Amino acid sequence: MTRIEELIRAKIPGPESGIVVRHTMCDICTPGPQCGIDAYIKDGKVIKIEGTKGFPSNDGKLCTKGAANRQYIYREDRIKTPMRRTGPRGSGKFEPISWEEAYREIAERLNRLKADYGPESVAFVCGYSKWFRPFLQRLAFSFGSPNYMTESSACYRATVVSSKCLFGVPVIGDLRNTKLFIAWGSNPFINMYPLGRGLLNFKEHGGKVVVIDPRNTQSAQKLADIYLRPKIGTDGALAHAMARVIIENGWSDGPFIEKYVHGFEAYRDYVMQFDLKTAETITGIPAGDIYRVAELFAKTDPSVISPSNAITHRTNGCNNHRAILSLMAITGRFDRPGTCYPDYQTYCHSDGGFQSLEEEFVDQVRPRTDKKGVGLERFPLWADMVDEAQGMHLATQILSGRPYPIRGMLGMGVNTRMYPNSRRFVEALDQLEFFAADDIFWTEACRHADIVLPASTSFERSEVKCYAGRFINYTKPVIEPVHDNRPDTDIICGLANALDLEDELLCSGYDNCLQYIMSPSGIEDWEAFRAHDGPIPVPNAAPYQIGSMLASGQVPTPTGRIELYSEAVARYPHLNPLPVYQDSDDNADPKCYPFVMCSGARLPNAVHTRVHPCSWPRSLRPDVSVDVHPQDAERLEIDQGDIVELSTPVAAIQVRANVTGLTSPGELHMYHGYEEANVNDLLDAGHLDPYTGFPGYKQFRCALHKAGGEKA
Amino acid sequence: MNKRCSIDLDPKRCVACGACAVACMDQNDLSPRSRQDMFRKIAVVERGAGADTQFTYLSLACMHCNNAPCIEACPCGCLRKDQETGFTIYDNTSCIGCRSCTMACPFAAPIFNAQGKMIKCDGCNTRVKAGLEPACVRVCPFDALTLVTEAERIERRTDCSVGAIAAAIQKECRAT
Repeated sequence: MTRIEELIRAKIPGPESGIVVRHTMCDICTPGPQCGIDAYIKDGKVIKIEGTKGFPSNDGKLCTKGAANRQYIYREDRIKTPMRRTGPRGSGKFEPISWEEAYREIAERLNRLKADYGPESVAFVCGYSKWFRPFLQRLAFSFGSPNYMTESSACYRATVVSSKCLFGVPVIGDLRNTKLFIAWGSNPFINMYPLGRGLLNFKEHGGKVVVIDPRNTQSAQKLADIYLRPKIGTDGALAHAMARVIIENGWSDGPFIEKYVHGFEAYRDYVMQFDLKTAETITGIPAGDIYRVAELFAKTDPSVISPSNAITHRTNGCNNHRAILSLMAITGRFDRPGTCYPDYQTYCHSDGGFQSLEEEFVDQVRPRTDKKGVGLERFPLWADMVDEAQGMHLATQILSGRPYPIRGMLGMGVNTRMYPNSRRFVEALDQLEFFAADDIFWTEACRHADIVLPASTSFERSEVKCYAGRFINYTKPVIEPVHDNRPDTDIICGLANALDLEDELLCSGYDNCLQYIMSPSGIEDWEAFRAHDGPIPVPNAAPYQIGSMLASGQVPTPTGRIELYSEAVARYPHLNPLPVYQDSDDNADPKCYPFVMCSGARLPNAVHTRVHPCSWPRSLRPDVSVDVHPQDAERLEIDQGDIVELSTPVAAIQVRANVTGLTSPGELHMYHGYEEANVNDLLDAGHLDPYTGFPGYKQFRCALHKAGGEKA
Repeated sequence: MNKRCSIDLDPKRCVACGACAVACMDQNDLSPRSRQDMFRKIAVVERGAGADTQFTYLSLACMHCNNAPCIEACPCGCLRKDQETGFTIYDNTSCIGCRSCTMACPFAAPIFNAQGKMIKCDGCNTRVKAGLEPACVRVCPFDALTLVTEAERIERRTDCSVGAIAAAIQKECRAT
């Protein structure tokens, strides 16, 4: 092998090998980290990737999914050109059409629906990616429809509802200044690795960590000074028992409560029913351990609890989450360094330390309509707290036609397998008169659409994005489009033109819109920013100063105080203003369905369905499998790798058994979204939290049987 | 360079996330057909039951042994030591696919590609000589994998090194 051949084989960049390194970002997961990527390019193709050193969110590192970006962008099932359906829905029969034809047909069909049934009859639905969300919302509003919705109707927004009930704002934990970090229902190593890195560093510098999780995870093993293992969904009872210990021992912060907290007496009287013995029975955690953690939390100052999204994925989820946040309120762990503080986001779920015009961008075209968005009558608290329709109700409204029919849909990155009773969601899609889909890949939703549009990956387009630490970045394409695909935002702006909307700004394109949205950033030379390679500091950064909300005396709740007794909730007689605990179980007969299923807890090699088809990450856990405790496996004569049947009154699926002490007896865990077997098919579409509309993914009854005795 | 290198694993920091294995596949254009069919293998070892279950998370590849038995075992002379880095490297042009190397290796590190030729972790030898880190080290989100010289490795506390695993195995063997 010659020296040059060796350099090319080892992918060493430089003039000799002809390999160049260009900078882009990962767009596989959620906007929080979206790590910087060095793309190694040869002859116009990505031949290797690495994390970008010095990048704000990842400093050179990548997770298991991010490391698979090359496979992801070159996935075989990418949509190659705009397509029109020619066979029955779901048949996969399509013909290629031009972009102009596609835009024209979508515009004609949607405008006809608007004329015949009103603009609210068209839903604008966003799945993954999330980077174009404000654009899709503006398109919906300019079109005149209140029906903009996202898959955050099932992911993280319930934590915003919970947090707003108490503090009036979403909150974020301050790891940098704390002494004790309680990771409640999360496995930071796997679900947010930059936090996992931060916690390793925190521990090395003497910080204490408590992990509370029904799964015995990597974080429980490696980070926890104390690990508590509650039965699935009993977090609220655990929090209330800790509250009682704290109050009875006089460890609550009396002056803070006096000055800032509303409804303490009602809350105190309520939590008194959760004595340690009762809590031990409900949660399965020894009374002494509950006491110990309550004492450690109250006596370590500052300390912070970080409850995860997972807490809210149960029918009592919002209240369980509120119960946990209430512990922060009674101990004065709010708006002080090392506790939690208001989380202000600049743009598209990330914080660059300034207030952009994102809200104005959407608000200035808000339709004047008396039609309420999908699900907002059923979930009024959600309606008050979140500026979007509740997408988990979409299928119900399509199928029932009440209170008004939904006839058409523009779905961008819609993932049918995220919806509870996913089969029913697909049936609902098939009832639509017209459905246009945009996506990177041929998803199930695309196969049921009338027109399909191919979207770009982050490697093929530009994006303006903010990062913590007051950075802003404008990426550039690192390769030509792999197929005839376009950025989602170009598609939205193109459709705005085709629909003939009176929206000059949106019709003028992505870059113009971003100049407007980011105008408070203080960037004077936009062209220079657009040309700059890599993040720049935000000139006008003025990040939130911890303590300023309390100092101003303005907590943005109805009473202006932190509300243990939520006046926002009290408006609705079917909801309880106190964060009451009740079982999140569904109505299935425990005799027929003796197991509790908890779906969706993160695996290292998966994030929703994004990389399920990529062989690199998939090879780490190739089988679709359910975690079963060894005791249950022995009783049911199930061996590792056996095929088992999981069933609920809704459906049944067959998967492999993964026998592991990661779970507890009677409890099952399974990852979602596999084409071969999707655990969300098992979930009743009506199993929703009445406060938020969130599906009870993480607690529903299930039967487990060995299937046919076949061995892997 | 000219120092004997190794890729060390700190078992205290490894969580078996497998980012290293995926980065290795990207670097080496691997298309694994099974969990064994990769240079870097990820393992979760579970011991005990109930709340006290202990998990050990591992990421292991070629150990680049001092006296590598694969080199001796290969009848075609495909394997050798790099004089600068000490990594066990190979040229599989002459490989006859006899599996002698895999059988001689205590870790079954050498595997075989679709053409039946031996392939294995070469420590990203060319990268290391170019002043870059091995792909697995570069990606590791928790700095569990590191590139160290012989001297650095010896200086390390045993419990922060792959040596901890060897010590644990020895202890286990004595106990049983």
